[in-house]
Amino acid sequence: MTDYLLSMILFTPLVGAVIALFMAGDKLKYARWVALVFSAIPLGLSLLLVATFDNNILGYQFLEQYTWIETSLLHMQYMLGVDGLSLIMVLLTTILVFLVVLFSWEEKERPNFFFALILGMQTGLLGVFMAIDYFMFFIFWEVALIPMYFLINLWGGPRRHYAAIKFFIYTHVASLVMLIGIFALAFQAASIEGWSQLSFAFTDISGVAFSSGFQVLVFGLLFFGFAVKMPVVPFHTWLPDAHVEAPTAGSVLLAGVMLKMGSYGIIRICLDVLPEGAVAWQIPMIIIALVAIVYGALACIAQRDLKKMVAFSSISHMGMVLLGIATLSDIGIAAGAFQMFAHGLITAVLFMVCGIVGHNVGTRQIPLLGGLAEKMPNYAAFMMFGFMASLGLPGLVGFVAEFNILAAFYNWGLAEGVAWVIVIGLASLLLTAGYYLWAMQRSIFGPVTDKVDVSKVHDVSVYEGVSLAVLCGLIALFGIFPALAWDFVFPVASGLAAVLGVI
Amino acid sequence: MTLPDFTLIAPQLIVLLAALLVPGLHFLTRNDKLVGMVSIAAVVAAGLYLGWMILEGVEGSFLGVYAVDAFSLLLTGLFLMVALLVLLASLHSVERDRHHGEYYALLLAATAGMMFVACAQDLIGIFVGVELTSISSYALVAFRKNDPRAAEAAVKYLVIGGLSTALTLYGFSLLYGVTQTTNLAEIALAIGAAPSVALYVSMALIIAGLGFKITTVPFHMWAPDVYEGATAPVATFLAIGSKKMGFVALFKIFLVGFIAAQATVVSDMQYLFAILAAITMTVGNVVALSQTNMKRLLAYSSIAQAGYLMMVLAIATEYAVIGGLFHMITHVFMKGGAFIIVAALCYLSIGDKLSDYKGLAKRAPVLAFSMLIFLFALAGVPPLAGFVSKFVLFSSAVGSPGAEMAGQWIWLVFIAVINSAISLYYYARVVKFMYVDEGESDERIKVPMSFMAAIVICLVAVFAIGLYPEPVIKLCEAAAAALLG
Repeated sequence: MTDYLLSMILFTPLVGAVIALFMAGDKLKYARWVALVFSAIPLGLSLLLVATFDNNILGYQFLEQYTWIETSLLHMQYMLGVDGLSLIMVLLTTILVFLVVLFSWEEKERPNFFFALILGMQTGLLGVFMAIDYFMFFIFWEVALIPMYFLINLWGGPRRHYAAIKFFIYTHVASLVMLIGIFALAFQAASIEGWSQLSFAFTDISGVAFSSGFQVLVFGLLFFGFAVKMPVVPFHTWLPDAHVEAPTAGSVLLAGVMLKMGSYGIIRICLDVLPEGAVAWQIPMIIIALVAIVYGALACIAQRDLKKMVAFSSISHMGMVLLGIATLSDIGIAAGAFQMFAHGLITAVLFMVCGIVGHNVGTRQIPLLGGLAEKMPNYAAFMMFGFMASLGLPGLVGFVAEFNILAAFYNWGLAEGVAWVIVIGLASLLLTAGYYLWAMQRSIFGPVTDKVDVSKVHDVSVYEGVSLAVLCGLIALFGIFPALAWDFVFPVASGLAAVLGVI
Repeated sequence: MTLPDFTLIAPQLIVLLAALLVPGLHFLTRNDKLVGMVSIAAVVAAGLYLGWMILEGVEGSFLGVYAVDAFSLLLTGLFLMVALLVLLASLHSVERDRHHGEYYALLLAATAGMMFVACAQDLIGIFVGVELTSISSYALVAFRKNDPRAAEAAVKYLVIGGLSTALTLYGFSLLYGVTQTTNLAEIALAIGAAPSVALYVSMALIIAGLGFKITTVPFHMWAPDVYEGATAPVATFLAIGSKKMGFVALFKIFLVGFIAAQATVVSDMQYLFAILAAITMTVGNVVALSQTNMKRLLAYSSIAQAGYLMMVLAIATEYAVIGGLFHMITHVFMKGGAFIIVAALCYLSIGDKLSDYKGLAKRAPVLAFSMLIFLFALAGVPPLAGFVSKFVLFSSAVGSPGAEMAGQWIWLVFIAVINSAISLYYYARVVKFMYVDEGESDERIKVPMSFMAAIVICLVAVFAIGLYPEPVIKLCEAAAAALLG
């Protein structure tokens, strides 16, 4: 059964999406059940995947390899596989989609279409993490994009058309630039190795010795494609717009999983295939990461909209991921990957919290809120937990990630004789704690607001509460036992760092 | 004297005979439906015979003017498919008009012209085919002669078409003067030996003349007006049929010469084509952004697609030809499908303005979904057909499998990719009108069967080629090998 495990995880949501689509008319109320079942199956299967994954084997496991297009010039394969890094991303995706379905249980507006889009997007996201052939990787990369465009455009806020098209164009341009990079990789590999067919398999291309000049150039192309998706300053402007307008489920998947596609690509493709390019680009990457971290945090302080603040905090935290990766050390890369996982869980809580306040109170404007803890005690507890996790409270998952990233960064600084740069990283932690605490103080503590009518406000619903509670439990679990995820990513990271270290 | 083997051009003859038969049939029976059905039957019969020829691997040359090989068979088949789609869309579109016999006869004659161009291996053969198609389509554009928009479009098309014919013919005559032959293979050998001013002039004239047909900027101005004025099925024919014919003619004249002759004239022409391609795709896409009429929007998008296809003439490798042929095939289904939906909505009096498409997803879910698929395929969104063909076409600018990576045309692929992203904007705008905006009416639309049949053919092709492109790429590989010898 494990022979087809990955394909089953990958395509179950797609089947669910098609079924959900047909739940129209008087069957409309069953759409959510279809979504629940078809997101529970991949979740169960991915837990099975984790259980049967052999951590002692380096490289891809659960391989599935079939020829897809075979002509005299082209050789493209249907090729799936996971290693420790993809494994935790697959797990994160299946967990978040399941919880998002639960969270959106009471969606009234065209639920069949809504859940179909979420399930369709899940297939795209999972495909990106499982594909080990560039052609397939790119297809899933783009497939994940389209449902999000519709989610924002149909269920979004007042400026949703602008946000949706901006999101679509930005990320599409980036993917196309990435595609040129992939072309270059494939052609150059075929020319160096003397293949008469173009091959796009990860395993074929990662063994090719590209010249340094080529590596630096193509690293730039691929990095641009991934960096827009992450996103890093200055290519981040689509993100706040998309998040503010997107429905909560869309935001959760956008920040929780989709942004990780970018950093996943950098680790999986840029570092693995173009190590010399990575070394040449190390300093620019570190500078970009630091700018993103600090700029994101500063922008958070200035936000009045709670959701926009959380969106900017994502930029700051994804900057942390890039900082970890850019150290090119085993701890740094592993911590970056761990931060991807951690941020996925935490940001899901944050966006759900924003969604609830927007829905229940009617506004997300921080200055209009106040004293919500009195009216919505459960809500306040979840919000506090999420904010604390995000600012890196020890014992929770965010702390482990950020501590290791900063430790790796400090190590790098020491080795380069610029240990003082750690101050920038530490200052950002201070800023982060600052904006979160200030936002909490203004929105849930203090006297009950009189600027909006909160007399009839009710607390979190059962479905929302359950999904939030599960997420909070996971945040604590992985915070106390980080080895549960760390042990999967560290071998991958040390394998990459070993190659990067000798250049 | 022995007779030549007429079975080699049997598909062309079937279509041509049907074109001659249909007006008489209509005159005798006065049955509008019947002539449409006979035309479709003729096209299907020609297609079946062609299928047999492909399976049998028939090859040969008819009088040294028309060659039958993998290339001509593939393109002939493609043109028959175009004819089938347009005929299906026509059945209802013209039912309120008169002169059915003439309409179908002209359409079949135009198809036969395209099919002759696909086989031609001689300048005269190309010219005769191009003219047969052009003259038939002038009359087709003027079909609704009482509609001022159609009349204006037809006059414009006729004048510009006449000019382009004159330029092409003058170019051909100079080429003949320089090389002393009208046979394409012999011309290829001759231009390698003697580059002269007259040769450059003749090539410039041919590019300009055929450039009108394929709507290369700056010879593109007629296209949006004519597409808008003509009835929608005729516009479909012009966009997916006669434009492809222009490309086939250019491929035959230039690529055969390019590959055979390694002279200076070659690289000069390649750069000219590269610049024209870049300008054409950019102008097409940028102007399309501000269109409010669906036919005009698709017209500009066709201009942009012509720019992508012109990359083939610039890159001029076998891999690029494969990509070009592949994209021509997928384009027939994507653009054809989109135009046929426009035709259906015109027939149903919905209109052809973008604002008429508001709320279409509620009124006609299948139609709106199909349109969404066609537009996304045109934009190159995976896993649809347009993505795979653009993948092959654009990647050919980066390199050729098995060859050293040249890097000469990398700038061209950047321009193409940026254009592809721009195009997504206006396609997504149409999608927004259909899916997001509320329409004035919620009334369900019922689409006639013949339209649905054409749309389903396109839809199946767009999905099937996208998910399993291998057989089509193989056909293109064989065709490219046959074209380039």
